[in-house]
Amino acid sequence: MSLPLYYYLAITAVYILMTWALYLPYRVAHLHFMVVANMAISGYFGGYAAINWHWSFLAVFAAGFLIGAVVSFVVSIAIGDAPTFAVVIVGFTFIYITKTVIENWPAMGSTMGMFGIPLVNHILLYAYLFVLVTGFFIYRFDHSRLGRAASAIFIHRELATSFGVNTKYLGMFLQTWAGAIGGATGVLYGFIMNSLFPNFFTFPIIGATMTMLFLGGYTTMWGPLLAAPVLWGAPLLLPTAVASWRQIIYGVLLIVILLLRPEGAITRPFIVKVQTTIFQWMRIKKV
Amino acid sequence: MAVFLAQIVNGISLGSVYVLLVTGFNLLLLVAMIIHYSFPIVVVFSMYISWIVLGLTGGNMFLGLSAGIVSAVLINILTAPMFQHIMKKRGDVDINSTMVLSMGIGMIITDFLSHSVNSGFPIAFPDSLTGRGEPAFIRLGVISMSRGDMLSLTLGIIFVLGLFWILYKTRAGRAFRAIAEDPNGAKLVGIPILKTGLQSYALTGLLGGVSAVAMSILLGSASPGLGDQLGRKVLAVSIIAGLGNLKGGLIVGISLGILEALVQGYWSGTWSNSIAFVVMLIAILVKPKGIFGMKL
Amino acid sequence: MNKSGETILSVENLFVSYGHVEALKGVSLEVKRGEIVVLVGSNGAGKTSIMETILGVNQTRKGRIIFEGREITNLSSDKIVRSGIFLVPEGRGVFSSMSVLDNLLLGAHHNLKNAKEKTAYVYELFPVLGQRRNQIAGTLSGGERQMLSIARALMSNPKMIMVDEPSIGLAPKIVNDIFKILQNLNKEGYAILLSEQNVYKALKLADRGYVLETGSVVLDGTSEGLLHNTDIRKAYLGA
Ligand SMILES: Nc1ncnc2c1ncn2[C@@H]1O[C@H](COP(=O)(O)OP(=O)(O)OP(=O)(O)O)[C@@H](O)[C@H]1O
Ligand SMILES: [Mg+2]
Repeated sequence: MSLPLYYYLAITAVYILMTWALYLPYRVAHLHFMVVANMAISGYFGGYAAINWHWSFLAVFAAGFLIGAVVSFVVSIAIGDAPTFAVVIVGFTFIYITKTVIENWPAMGSTMGMFGIPLVNHILLYAYLFVLVTGFFIYRFDHSRLGRAASAIFIHRELATSFGVNTKYLGMFLQTWAGAIGGATGVLYGFIMNSLFPNFFTFPIIGATMTMLFLGGYTTMWGPLLAAPVLWGAPLLLPTAVASWRQIIYGVLLIVILLLRPEGAITRPFIVKVQTTIFQWMRIKKV
Repeated sequence: MAVFLAQIVNGISLGSVYVLLVTGFNLLLLVAMIIHYSFPIVVVFSMYISWIVLGLTGGNMFLGLSAGIVSAVLINILTAPMFQHIMKKRGDVDINSTMVLSMGIGMIITDFLSHSVNSGFPIAFPDSLTGRGEPAFIRLGVISMSRGDMLSLTLGIIFVLGLFWILYKTRAGRAFRAIAEDPNGAKLVGIPILKTGLQSYALTGLLGGVSAVAMSILLGSASPGLGDQLGRKVLAVSIIAGLGNLKGGLIVGISLGILEALVQGYWSGTWSNSIAFVVMLIAILVKPKGIFGMKL
Repeated sequence: MNKSGETILSVENLFVSYGHVEALKGVSLEVKRGEIVVLVGSNGAGKTSIMETILGVNQTRKGRIIFEGREITNLSSDKIVRSGIFLVPEGRGVFSSMSVLDNLLLGAHHNLKNAKEKTAYVYELFPVLGQRRNQIAGTLSGGERQMLSIARALMSNPKMIMVDEPSIGLAPKIVNDIFKILQNLNKEGYAILLSEQNVYKALKLADRGYVLETGSVVLDGTSEGLLHNTDIRKAYLGA
């Protein structure tokens, strides 16, 4: 496989996972940027453990997943039921603090970055296996009783409470799960790039995942799945002079979609339409 | 003790800038009903406009600073239709999507600044504006204030008082408060909602422009990342005070300035900025709905 | 009383829907200068919808609204208030975080000229409000709030006042006071469009009435006539 294609596929997996990590808590209207901090914390831990303690990739991956879950869980005790803007600012401050700690910690490579994270065979396979497993569980969640409860909370938090939905536990559950995905993805990212830089875990990834979520559509899991490859890939096809304006392109796209199609490209009615078309097509085939 | 007093005074100057920013942010929240996270990014953009015009006119203070103020008002008025469009389309105000829209605007401005102005390097304002290197303007025992500190503090006080005067003593201010309390009721008594909303965008733009002037004088420099950093601080201050709580924002804004100045006085280094964030993070985690109560 | 018979407001064949809910299905009515006209009907009949549509809060799907010979259909609320219509909303609609004086001045938002004289005039009509001008409206009693809401309407120099269910949640004695106030205002020449569930009292006060059921006028006539109508007596007066 050519190197550019390899990186395209690998980073696409990272963005799909991170956008899903953002998607899950947004089911209850929480814009949980904390997952980016999870990505950094677990990613750096993983890099350190692999370089200095020679942990295997799978061990590091599992540890990253767990650390992400634990950190997000602890925070979710406070903000599992908080208003959206409070969740947003907690995420931002966490990202900022994490970045400052890394930048001032020589063992983590400070501002220079961490190098020498070992190569792993079949990392692409692991990455997409994780995408598959995560996607499966998100699908199951979306079509469960809890998924419907989440939709109710998104529309009207107080009303949902009066129907007996425990908004706090559901919020905590989703934030924890998202944190775990973020942590594991951080480890994946470190092993794909073989190096980590504190600056990556700020503006670039926040802007990109937010655009992927809202452009793809935040009401179903399919929006992020389709938006990530397209939005990550499209600028790569453009001349470098244009592609370096990636953030501005994302910003403009984000604004345009919010104005024209507030629920994003792929909405629930759209999914239903696709499903019925497929079913009809299959029935015709059988006959 | 000397350091302590001196830093308190510095902190109040810094705090007055935060208060300007938070008040503008809260006003947009109350009257226009948007979470304009990127409002401070617009302000930093205005600082850049001032800097550019200062460069073009060979350091004409009046033109430079006016250009900054005008640009802040213009950006606010020009972006207003986008926010109003989102709110109309959603029927009930969807405050989350206004925040995402605002973040999109912030992404564009920040990336533009880091690409296209001064090759992305921080900009510095001339000493003739900031008063750097001049002897202290006021000296009272151990306390001394530079001309820059004095000026930005005065601007802060005048404009925050002016804003409260507009809010509580004028016809437009009365309409602002009515919309903030009950938009539907305000419509019933014949207040034109969109037009009044637009006035609030213009007024906060003016406030933003003045903040840009105060910050140019007080900080003396700006960088593309400054806006994002201020955006986080302003949202945090507003949440800790209670979203939309103007008087709470006053208290918490000044406190943040003092806290930061004290930390810098005793504990220099790259860590000083994060201490404020750690304190704010704890405050939000403990009280996600704010100390003084939300006014939303 | 000056009831010249000149029509000040006429609503013709009005249709209004909220999404799929048809709230008004072809309502027509008239208010003449110096008249009190009452809309009666049970919950959800469409009384509030009529008043809010006249004020331009709801978009009409069909029909026309003409005020003083000028079509005001679908104009914005602030223009309609300027033209001389003011609503005293259901549930009073006072701004409870603001002072009594602020609330009054909001009524005159579109025209603050002579605000001093106007406040003096309403303080004369409602001495309570004068004593409490700096009190926060949220601390007023229900009756006082209703007075404040009516006084606020007067501040706007209206030609017609619409009063939506003023008696809700008030003690009978206070209701009598409020009705007395409306009667006095009417004597001063204000046209009044009133909506009420307190049918007997309302018809006693009014010159004419319209009976609404699920978005349509099912009956109309003089108050005398309606008071003696057997259907009305059965449905609303418990006789
Ligand atoms: N904003 C709205 N959205 C949807 N339906 C509405 C809305 N406002 C009113 N309706 C519907 O329109 C119909 C008429 O309501 P309206 O409030 O005009 O009745 P009303 O006569 O004032 O009743 P009440 O005596 O209870 O105040 C009702 O069926 C109501 O459910
Ligand atoms: Mg009603």
